[in-house]
Amino acid sequence: MRRKIAKTQKLNLIPILDAIFIFIFFLLMSAQFIDIYQIGSDAPITSTTNNKMEKEPLNLTLVLKGENISVKTGLDEKLYKTYSLAQLPELNQALIELKKQNPKESSAIFKPAHNFQYNKIVKVIDNTREIMDPNVYITALDEKNRKYPSKKLFDKIIFETQD
Amino acid sequence: MKRMFFNGKKKKKEPMDLDITSLLDVLVILLVFLLKSYNASNLKLNLVKDLVVPNSAARTLGEHAVIVQVDKNKRLFVNNKPIGLITRSGESPILMEALKSIKESSDIAEVKAAKRVNLVFDEEIPYNVMKGVMHTSAMVGYTEFKFIVRGNY
Repeated sequence: MRRKIAKTQKLNLIPILDAIFIFIFFLLMSAQFIDIYQIGSDAPITSTTNNKMEKEPLNLTLVLKGENISVKTGLDEKLYKTYSLAQLPELNQALIELKKQNPKESSAIFKPAHNFQYNKIVKVIDNTREIMDPNVYITALDEKNRKYPSKKLFDKIIFETQD
Repeated sequence: MKRMFFNGKKKKKEPMDLDITSLLDVLVILLVFLLKSYNASNLKLNLVKDLVVPNSAARTLGEHAVIVQVDKNKRLFVNNKPIGLITRSGESPILMEALKSIKESSDIAEVKAAKRVNLVFDEEIPYNVMKGVMHTSAMVGYTEFKFIVRGNY
């Protein structure tokens, strides 16, 4: 008796190929080959209400001039520390310490000099907004005072737009 | 000769088998690449000539809004239309007019009440130009500035 050789069944790939082609066209049409992100900043708003503050605000101010970054705190803008642009990791570390001392503060005021370049400002903003070391987290508090690990430092950036 | 044509039965032609394995490989690679570079942001940005966006560690996706671009020669563009040069002091009446006309010409309430503006500056632009653009935008009612940056890896 002869045995019939079982024919290998072929997989019908046409529907999946159709789907892949449609998917590729959709992705190609919507592709943006440079990754674009945004850094938010609000125009400063002045308030005339005189609410009594429990604690003096941190009023973190970064003055950018030449190659230096001066970190100032308090309403009288007392000089905290000065760093050069090459010392951005040290600036980040100092801001981590300030955030630990003032966990509810989230704003930083930027006062760059007239000729300070945009790409340098962006670098300082990056180091002000979040912890750059991927392994370091700080304990932050939510609205109900519950603790959670966070990388956020001072993410509300305000520019001084008026002289 | 006659035999050759009329004697035998005609053989059925078998459908030709196409080997699409290599094509599938290419498609899968293309799919993975496109999926990796897919950006869910609804902001569609066409960068003007002579404008290099700075790199940043920011990871917040951009959103659709009015786009103001300033290239390295301090030329101003609103929604990709050139409107002129920015002055040395950074003040810009033409920008104010252009932004006002966007708000006034629209019948859509959302556009009239919009506060968000996407600011795309060349990386070498000095702060006085930035300040002028921000100040002018805020005067028109665009008080939420979104600085557009490029993600770095």
